[in-house]
Amino acid sequence: MRTSKILLSVLAIVIAALWAFPVYWMVSSSFIPTAILQSFIPTFFPNKPTGSNYVGAVADGSFWSALGMSIAVTLTVVVFCIIFAFLAAVAISRFRFRGRRSFVIAVLIVQMLPAEGLFIAQYKMVSSVHLLDSVIGVSVIYIAAVVPFTIWMLRGFVAGVPADLEEAAMVDGLSRFGAFMRITFPLLAPGLVASGVYAFLQAWNEFTVALVLLPSEAAQTLPLWLRGFVQASATRETDWGQVMAASTLVAVPVIIFFLIVQGRLTSGLVSGAVKG
Amino acid sequence: MKRKIGIVAAATAALVVLAGCSTPAAPEAESADGQNITLWLMGGDTPDALRDYLKTEYADATGGTLTIEQQDWADALSKLTTALPDAENTPDVTEIGNTWSPTFTTVGAFSDISDMYDELGGSKLLQSFVDVGAVDGANYALPYYFGSRYIFFRKDIWAAAGLEVPTTLAEFNDDAAKLKTATQSGFYIGGEDWRNGISWIFANGGELAAKDGDIWKSTLSDPKTIEGLTQLQKLYTDSSLAPVTEADSTPWVNINNNAATGAPEAATIIAPGWAHWSIGDLTPDPKDATKTVATWNDATFGNFVLPGVDGGAAPVFAGGSNIAISAASKNQAGARELMKIIFSEEYQNMLGANGLGPANTDYTASLGDDQFATALAESAKNSKLTPAAPGWAAVEGSGLLEEFFGKVNGGGDIKALAKEYDAKIDELING
Amino acid sequence: MSSLGNARRGIRAPHLLLIPAIVIMLLGMGYPMIWQVVTSLQKYGLQQQFGKPAPFVGLDNYVTLATDPQLWLVVGKSLAFCLITAALTLAIGTLLALLMSAVTKTARLILQVALLLAWAMPVVSAMTVWIWLFDRRRGAINYLLDMIPGVNMNRFDWLSTPLTFLLVACIIVVWMSVPFVSFSVYAGLTQVSDEVMEAAQLDGANGWQRFWGVILPMIRPVIAIVLLLQLIWDLRVFTQIKLLQDAGSKSGDYDLLGTYIYKLGTSSQDFGMASAVSILVLGITVALSWFYIRSLLKEDEA
Repeated sequence: MRTSKILLSVLAIVIAALWAFPVYWMVSSSFIPTAILQSFIPTFFPNKPTGSNYVGAVADGSFWSALGMSIAVTLTVVVFCIIFAFLAAVAISRFRFRGRRSFVIAVLIVQMLPAEGLFIAQYKMVSSVHLLDSVIGVSVIYIAAVVPFTIWMLRGFVAGVPADLEEAAMVDGLSRFGAFMRITFPLLAPGLVASGVYAFLQAWNEFTVALVLLPSEAAQTLPLWLRGFVQASATRETDWGQVMAASTLVAVPVIIFFLIVQGRLTSGLVSGAVKG
Repeated sequence: MKRKIGIVAAATAALVVLAGCSTPAAPEAESADGQNITLWLMGGDTPDALRDYLKTEYADATGGTLTIEQQDWADALSKLTTALPDAENTPDVTEIGNTWSPTFTTVGAFSDISDMYDELGGSKLLQSFVDVGAVDGANYALPYYFGSRYIFFRKDIWAAAGLEVPTTLAEFNDDAAKLKTATQSGFYIGGEDWRNGISWIFANGGELAAKDGDIWKSTLSDPKTIEGLTQLQKLYTDSSLAPVTEADSTPWVNINNNAATGAPEAATIIAPGWAHWSIGDLTPDPKDATKTVATWNDATFGNFVLPGVDGGAAPVFAGGSNIAISAASKNQAGARELMKIIFSEEYQNMLGANGLGPANTDYTASLGDDQFATALAESAKNSKLTPAAPGWAAVEGSGLLEEFFGKVNGGGDIKALAKEYDAKIDELING
Repeated sequence: MSSLGNARRGIRAPHLLLIPAIVIMLLGMGYPMIWQVVTSLQKYGLQQQFGKPAPFVGLDNYVTLATDPQLWLVVGKSLAFCLITAALTLAIGTLLALLMSAVTKTARLILQVALLLAWAMPVVSAMTVWIWLFDRRRGAINYLLDMIPGVNMNRFDWLSTPLTFLLVACIIVVWMSVPFVSFSVYAGLTQVSDEVMEAAQLDGANGWQRFWGVILPMIRPVIAIVLLLQLIWDLRVFTQIKLLQDAGSKSGDYDLLGTYIYKLGTSSQDFGMASAVSILVLGITVALSWFYIRSLLKEDEA
């Protein structure tokens, strides 16, 4: 028993190393001068780390505008997505009403729509109200795409909080709203965090819709900036050092955010799914 | 034939101008003063100095602002498709790949600028580019710059193998095969690189498509095209180590010495003329020690024009761009003002000085008279465009040509493939 | 008095609560969806994009689609890719989850952090790194494989045949998706109570029997939703394929449904057909997940 546990632990660590290797490779290479990376023999460790790749990657300022755009879009999506999904989740898990079943089916179907076929229509709609290159235009599409899954996730959480608790609190003299805020809301926190993170990831990483709805360079988000950076670099011999530095810059905020909420996220994500 | 269309176009344009003079309510009613306009440029070919020049001149001429937005070639087609019809978001003036001109022109994406045609250079403009941008004698898209492709080679490697600059295409094919080793391409060409590969079709008198009455038909099965493809297939197999999936890419990185091995990946490449800035001995960049710069070295590197079947210059693919005013633009007057600046003598000379073939043939001298300018002029003389069919952009966009050339160079049965892809291309080529 | 108030609110509140979500879904998805259905019944190409009226052609696009062997090839490839990738993801993810519950706390934490790193990587960043790792000349993977005696992988071009291209895509997608599966299943496992496990052990069940007989039935709901999501995501996989095509070949042999539709729309400018294919994909997705949706709805009714 003991030895098997140790062996398995070693195995787990080996697998961990394999899994994290691409991430390590990205960060490590971003500190290696390009002249060394051009060699046919890979360099696995930055012996003489340099920051010049980072300097080069952010040199033309478009990185900062893309970062600003990404933050604005992501915040908008996360905030509205949580509010909308939360309200809807309360409705479908706490109330029986006409149209409930249709709504649930709609939520499920919307998740399955192939986005690649919708973008011309989305472009037409967004441009007809003059919202191309704007935070609002792209956010509306993102929220619509993310809200169904978050409703689905939150629904499990809301149903998991016994209604009796609320009622007990109301007997103690709290209003329905007060009871909800004091009793139910804190119990839902992990679920809200989980759906917030989900929305964050979707908005931060999204590429296809952004490509179409944010045509001008000044309005691009980080994934567009990164792809543009890779393409610009490819007209020369690809400058892998700078490209890796650029990738790291796009990935770091997500990774940090992720590690912070990690514990809540996992418990959150799953208890929702388990209920499902 | 092409020349004839040009003349007809010029004549029609002249008529339109005359007609315009006699009509009081010419489109000049609108004023360019203070109009803020947007210009889309594709990729990074236009240097910053030229962009700044355009902005300054435009501001001087109209008092308005010119915004230049650069689009990636890879996404350009989809962005043009969505933005051009849309008055709110269209660029006022846009550069387009010359081969896409027929597609956008026939659907009415661009403004008729026949009345300006003579003012902007008229018959002096590169006629093959003018033709793809004209419909029924009216001019919509005009040439922006051209750049045709020629051969760069390693003098040292060719000399070591006892080879001279070839004078016929067959000689070139043989020499390239002799230079291939396990780690070195005799001639580096990607399997899907149809833009360079079609030179072998053109050289053998073949075409990609021909117009039969009003209908365009793909002509890959034409015996002359097949002959060219057969040569290309043999050339790829015998001399190139490039991946069969590689399309038009950055072959010049392969002719420089590789930092790791001290030897080049290829003895010979074909590339647009401006690639010579990237070819040469690599030394650390004085501005940034982590990078390298290439300095052309005449002892090691050389260039020549791809020879034709019977000597002379082979007809190669005429690269380059057209430029046009979006029909949906609300700033037609400002856009026309910008066109005048682009076709001015000064700007045309600036294009030439930067190695981009100027649209107006009067200013070709600005390219200089060094070996690169000579090769550019010589290869451009015989260069050919892809078919001016309404659906050509769709054909290019569908990736069918990459697919077809990749399969041919992968060792496929040329006749069967040609038949298959003729059918596929026929579905798209008429728009 | 108060109960009456509640009852009245009970009738109206749920609908009010749904309004924001419904409005945003109608805006962002509903309108485009309707446009897509209508367009799939039209001849809608570049000319229509530039203002020509789009003629209705009935089911013509669907007929063309049904008789196009090329399309069915893409559908077949996509289905195979989706099933294999989803199955691999689920198997590896579940194994890693079981591993997590069998190792020391430190080892578990290390494994979890590694998986989180992979999960958190933005797709475009991750693709950039992977494409370099698989680069034929400078890629670390060819270099490492080449060191194995008797294996010659120097300059092996992974992206040059459709099969190896899709293998690379599959590896990358599995790498990205396994963390989600592992964490979900692991959390499911933690809800299997110790008593149940102990009871099973007392019964003398070995590891394998315990897994099939006790653990699997208890985590079935998690497995079901995770599998469904993987199937949906893998069927529509787009960004990964598109970026791999940037690095390799644009040719149709390397298309799955996502890129096939994208090309129909943007490059061939045939929006009518692109819409029709999108509807087909939607149909396939609904068919794949129909049983699951039905069971969910039933459970929901209960």
